[in-house]
Amino acid sequence: MALEFDTSEIEYMSYSGEHHLPLIMNLVDQELSEPYSIFTYRYFVYLWPNLSFLAFHKGKCVGTVVCKMGDHRHTFRGYIAMLVVLNSYRGRGIATELVSRSIKVMMESGCEEVTLEAEVTNKGALALYGRLGFIRAKRLFRYYLNGVDAFRLKLLFPRPEPDYSDSIKSVADESEEHGDGMPPEERIIQ
Amino acid sequence: MAEADGGEDAKAPLSPPIPSGKDTAWFDVSSLLHRASHDLRNDELITGDDFNLFAAMSALEATWHKGGSLAQTVYSCIYLLRPERTSSHALLHSFCRVIRATCSALVSAVSDARTNEEEDLFTMAYGLPLKANGDEKCLSMIHAVDETLCRQLKACSAPVSEKAVLEDIEPLQTHLDLEEDFCKAVLCRIRFRKHFYHVLTCLRKPQGRGLELAKKHIISCLSELDSMLNTEEFLRHNSACGTVKNEDEKTTASGCQPVGFDSTLNSRSAAPTPPRAIKLLSWKKAVNYFQKLLHDLGVICSYPLDPVFEGAMRFVVDIQKFQPDLVARAHIQLLLVQDGKLYGRESLFAVICKAALLPEGAKNHDIQKNESVQQLGQLLITLFRVLCANTAWQRRKLGKILQDWRIIYVQLELAFRKVFGEAASTPVEQDLLLRVCKHILIWVEEQTYWIALRFLMLGFELDLYSTDEYCMVYWYIYIYLIKLAEKTHLKIMLSNDSSRRKSKKKKDFVKDVGKDYQVPPVVQLIQCYIYVAQGLMMMLASLRNENKIFLCQGPFNSEHERFVQHFEVLQKACLPDHASFFSFSETVANIRFSTVSMHNCFKDAQKIAKDLRGGFANNPDRLAELRRIEQVAEHNHVALNLLCRLGSLEPSLKVSFDFIHHPHFATASVKRS
Repeated sequence: MALEFDTSEIEYMSYSGEHHLPLIMNLVDQELSEPYSIFTYRYFVYLWPNLSFLAFHKGKCVGTVVCKMGDHRHTFRGYIAMLVVLNSYRGRGIATELVSRSIKVMMESGCEEVTLEAEVTNKGALALYGRLGFIRAKRLFRYYLNGVDAFRLKLLFPRPEPDYSDSIKSVADESEEHGDGMPPEERIIQ
Repeated sequence: MAEADGGEDAKAPLSPPIPSGKDTAWFDVSSLLHRASHDLRNDELITGDDFNLFAAMSALEATWHKGGSLAQTVYSCIYLLRPERTSSHALLHSFCRVIRATCSALVSAVSDARTNEEEDLFTMAYGLPLKANGDEKCLSMIHAVDETLCRQLKACSAPVSEKAVLEDIEPLQTHLDLEEDFCKAVLCRIRFRKHFYHVLTCLRKPQGRGLELAKKHIISCLSELDSMLNTEEFLRHNSACGTVKNEDEKTTASGCQPVGFDSTLNSRSAAPTPPRAIKLLSWKKAVNYFQKLLHDLGVICSYPLDPVFEGAMRFVVDIQKFQPDLVARAHIQLLLVQDGKLYGRESLFAVICKAALLPEGAKNHDIQKNESVQQLGQLLITLFRVLCANTAWQRRKLGKILQDWRIIYVQLELAFRKVFGEAASTPVEQDLLLRVCKHILIWVEEQTYWIALRFLMLGFELDLYSTDEYCMVYWYIYIYLIKLAEKTHLKIMLSNDSSRRKSKKKKDFVKDVGKDYQVPPVVQLIQCYIYVAQGLMMMLASLRNENKIFLCQGPFNSEHERFVQHFEVLQKACLPDHASFFSFSETVANIRFSTVSMHNCFKDAQKIAKDLRGGFANNPDRLAELRRIEQVAEHNHVALNLLCRLGSLEPSLKVSFDFIHHPHFATASVKRS
């Protein structure tokens, strides 16, 4: 049953220490089917504390997101490992806010893309990430041992526009040297 | 250690414990086991409850097929691990041998087919005894056991006067009035294993020679499975254990655990971290799995093995409709390509020549020895292999091989030029060489577009696109269909041209030129799809431009990024050269509901489909295809008219695109929510 509350009552906090760890663990253990060991949690929150966020309602932890980022095959990429909101608090945009905060940090940190896996049956998650701009990049056959397929979801950040002013200047310099008077060529965009 | 007599409740002293940690210790319990086994007669452990073992084995086997590993499933049964220890019990021993032989045959089949990337646990044996000495004689042993059981069955149903003659028959279990039904239960299970093993050996016979016999064994298997299902109630009511388990959990028909091994051992002992416990299929689900597998194998056996490229492609694509599992798909692959030939009968070069509409003699041309032409043959084998994989993996591989097909086109062009320049040959030979080269190049282009289209269409089947993305997908499909039609038409025209020039009678040639040219039916069919794709693209574009729905908007990126991600492989293959996000945006930017050509698209598709019915009158598959196109076109035409009349959409009206008439071409509908 959904609780009555105003979304303005929800406070969001970045992971800020060991005192947050049991809150995250309890929430994830309670709501998600995957049992993680404490080492798994520590791996994420110690190395990337700025990518994990918690949502509180009147002092109670009601939602959390846990992520990481790093180099993956020559791409600097963010990965969303866990996203949970207590059942009675769902449908009010808390998960969207938590994920968006993480994605913003990833974008500002120079990530080229963000990725995660979700069960094909998880309509809620697929709708949430779809609204944020994720595409279903791949379908993974029987990814979960209960036989369910997964989607690999990916969000590609816009590539920065190349700065033309420098290239025009350098080509102009070159053409002056060679005296061929050729117009500057557009730099080839990857 | 004191040896206790049977029945005496004396406790055998255990040797002192061996400490192994702060709170744990090891105890040697060999004395207890020794005593327990003394209490039983030699084969008491394994009589009477055989059908539970057989049923549990089926559940384990089906779980293996569906993604578990052998170690966690079939080989959790201890009886399989030490063949020599079951030798005193003919029924159990022959059963174990046929199980091992079946598993070995399947591992070998799937390994040879190599279409199992995502199901790679299947072939991992981890050093388990897949082949024991004597397993190859499993069928003769099963046959002997079958005969014994038949005699037993006869003995149960014989009148009392005859029973004395059959005294030497040992009953399966102790309740003589139930013996007949128990015999039947065991018999159908033994016979199922026998027929199933026969199916697998027949399927592996070269050039599909065993398919007719395989079909007969499939029918027998299905019949034995039905018998097994019929014994379920009997076994449940007469089970010694008496427990009634949840239908979803019981891995045997009776609901009892098999004697001597625990089929749920894996799920109880494995940790929550990988390699995790796997959930066993229930007995009912295991039986259903085998019924489906046999159905799919039956479909494979019924296909005419005509070594024609289009037929083989249709076979491989159509059978995916049944969503066949790994075992069935591996057997399709093994049947398709044997010894580098299609169905083991026709060389790939000959298949390509025929598909490229070259004359019969072309298949003997020396050009087949050319390295690039041989590479093309390899690409074709890879294509067949990829098309036999599960659709998720298939789509990823199709995207990757697209590059290879683009490269081979360039390589062939260069190779042909070189050969043409070097060959000192007669004008007739040169003419043939030119024809072979031209036809093959056109055929390669045609197949490249086919692969690209399959890549895009599978995206719908795998639910990879959101409705916001349909517009750009149909734009790409529209472009590729036009190219496909172009190449197919060109191939046919080249072929007609060649055969016209062959004709020595001048007056025939003059007559042909004067005739009205009829677009070949296969090209007209592609034209139908072009109109439908175009109509859908334009309808979606209008909804975006006028009603502002299905827009690809998000806080972190735009439609450009989504386009780049979805079509990365197509862009990398430069297929075709000018397709880009820019050209897509330009195309759809100004489309409105008032754009007349959009309204004609669906009507034109309907008209062509109707006209084609006559040409495909003897082809039920094509007729079904035409009916689907007509339905898609008609319903979309209605929806389009409605949207035009409505103008703006009230908030309560929702437009949706569903795949109710065709798996790849959506049907629009407007509903009040």
